[in-house]
Amino acid sequence: MSFIPGQPVSAVVQRIEIHKLYEGDNLILGFSIGGGIDQDPTQNPFSEDKTDKGIYVTRVSKGGPAEVAGLRLGDKIMQVNGWDMTMVTHDQARKKLTKKNEDVVRLLVTRKSLEETVRQSMMQH
Amino acid sequence: MNKTAKSTCDSDRQSKKVKTSHGSTQGTQGQKADVKGCAAGKDACSPGPERSSESSHTMQKRSQKEAKSTRSDSPSSQQHLMKTSPAEDEKGFYFFQKCKHWNEPHSLGDADLYRDEDEIQKELQDKQQTESVAAGEAQSSVSAAEDLQTYSQREWKGNTTKSLLIRKGYETIASEFKLRRVRGDNYCALRATLFQVLSQSKQLPAWLRDSDIREWPKETQSDQDFIKEWKFPFETSKSKVRHLEQCLERLKQRWEESVQCRSLEQRERLCQEVFRVHDEEYELLEALKFLMLRTAIHLHSDMEKGSDVPEFCWLLFARDSSRCPKTFFTNHLRHVGFSGGLEQVEMCLLGYSLQQTMQVVRLYKCETEEFIIYYPNDHKKDWPTLCLLTEDDRHYNVLVSQNSSKFDEYGRPKWNLPSDGQPSKTTRL
Repeated sequence: MSFIPGQPVSAVVQRIEIHKLYEGDNLILGFSIGGGIDQDPTQNPFSEDKTDKGIYVTRVSKGGPAEVAGLRLGDKIMQVNGWDMTMVTHDQARKKLTKKNEDVVRLLVTRKSLEETVRQSMMQH
Repeated sequence: MNKTAKSTCDSDRQSKKVKTSHGSTQGTQGQKADVKGCAAGKDACSPGPERSSESSHTMQKRSQKEAKSTRSDSPSSQQHLMKTSPAEDEKGFYFFQKCKHWNEPHSLGDADLYRDEDEIQKELQDKQQTESVAAGEAQSSVSAAEDLQTYSQREWKGNTTKSLLIRKGYETIASEFKLRRVRGDNYCALRATLFQVLSQSKQLPAWLRDSDIREWPKETQSDQDFIKEWKFPFETSKSKVRHLEQCLERLKQRWEESVQCRSLEQRERLCQEVFRVHDEEYELLEALKFLMLRTAIHLHSDMEKGSDVPEFCWLLFARDSSRCPKTFFTNHLRHVGFSGGLEQVEMCLLGYSLQQTMQVVRLYKCETEEFIIYYPNDHKKDWPTLCLLTEDDRHYNVLVSQNSSKFDEYGRPKWNLPSDGQPSKTTRL
């Protein structure tokens, strides 16, 4: 999913619905994020394009809400509850995911394997 | 309109004659004054590439033939006027509106045709007040820091395309810097650079630290016998070589002092001491010229040997009038401060000689890629950066960076810095 100037960026996305869990007083999601437009994109091990400043899943807790919902390590988060996540700072991303009055977040994510699966199934026809 | 333009133009030129530099030769006022002062009136201009843009193009590897054409006239010839582009005739109008040199009386410009007498009077009074403040600085060749927006609005009234562009340029950088005006003579580029060096240097550059630069004039003299042609802006009873040695010694001394300064106040005091339009200031400026000569000689010999040299060298010696160090000196360097300033390629040479990167904001190139240019541009990371400002690649002023999060202490833009090998921020949710 690299950026080619002049071409629209398209991605195969999957819907992930995470039900937050109470851990003491806090609502947790069970994963960690990295990236953001204010971060250094060259450090991201999951991105294809090293200038991609998107938000990526850098850790998924075993058995946690995120894993249960189908989120995987290395997923790129495109949207959270309709809010765009491709052009946000790290902190803005965190805020969209940790709203206190929401106990469900619906994500749109993309991963390389998704693209491959779709491409393969299309080739079979 | 033209008639008025011409007469004001001439009277302004007169006042320039009185004021301009120490050691200016009779008649020639320097390419800067000529280009600015006489571009009034549409008949003076013929379409043709703007001289400064030609120079900047030569920075981009044009063929030798084209590089030749920009320099076929001698530095101070009137022919420069013919090379101004049609857009340049707007200069006639705003020349009145600008009062760049603080000794000059306020000239009434076009904007005043529509203003109330009381308004004009008030402005003249305000101007006199600021001038007396400036005079109170006891003849300093670099003024105190002032706000860029205020300066730009005062100097560039009117709505010509050029005024708007220049004001936009000022606005773009107004939050990052303050302005310190440099005396408007042909030494201004050297002076602005020297000022930045003394007001900012945190350490001595390698060439100054590791060699005894006082030996250099003798070395150069035995090598190339043209130091005897050196022009000083002051009287000297010593031999020219001996005097240059003294100049270099002064430079080393002052640079060392500046590096040892513990506070901004100390640095400011040092600069006030040096920039007093006194002999010492000129000695330091001549020292800079010598360093440029020496570097040019070394680079030229490297070029002849076929070793790697920075790009600007080719351009420096591609000019018909400066094929070799000797002609470079005789036709160009010797006249710097007197009848000519520094060309862009010579700014590269200056930066290279001192091992400092000059970051120059060029207002008339606002909204183009050449708005900010680096002289030289291949050592931005390892040499200290000195920030200068020019409206026209002729007169240079000093930029003092404000402490803002967008620029670091040297005026270099701060981009998102890489994490130095540490993992980037990751947040557990």
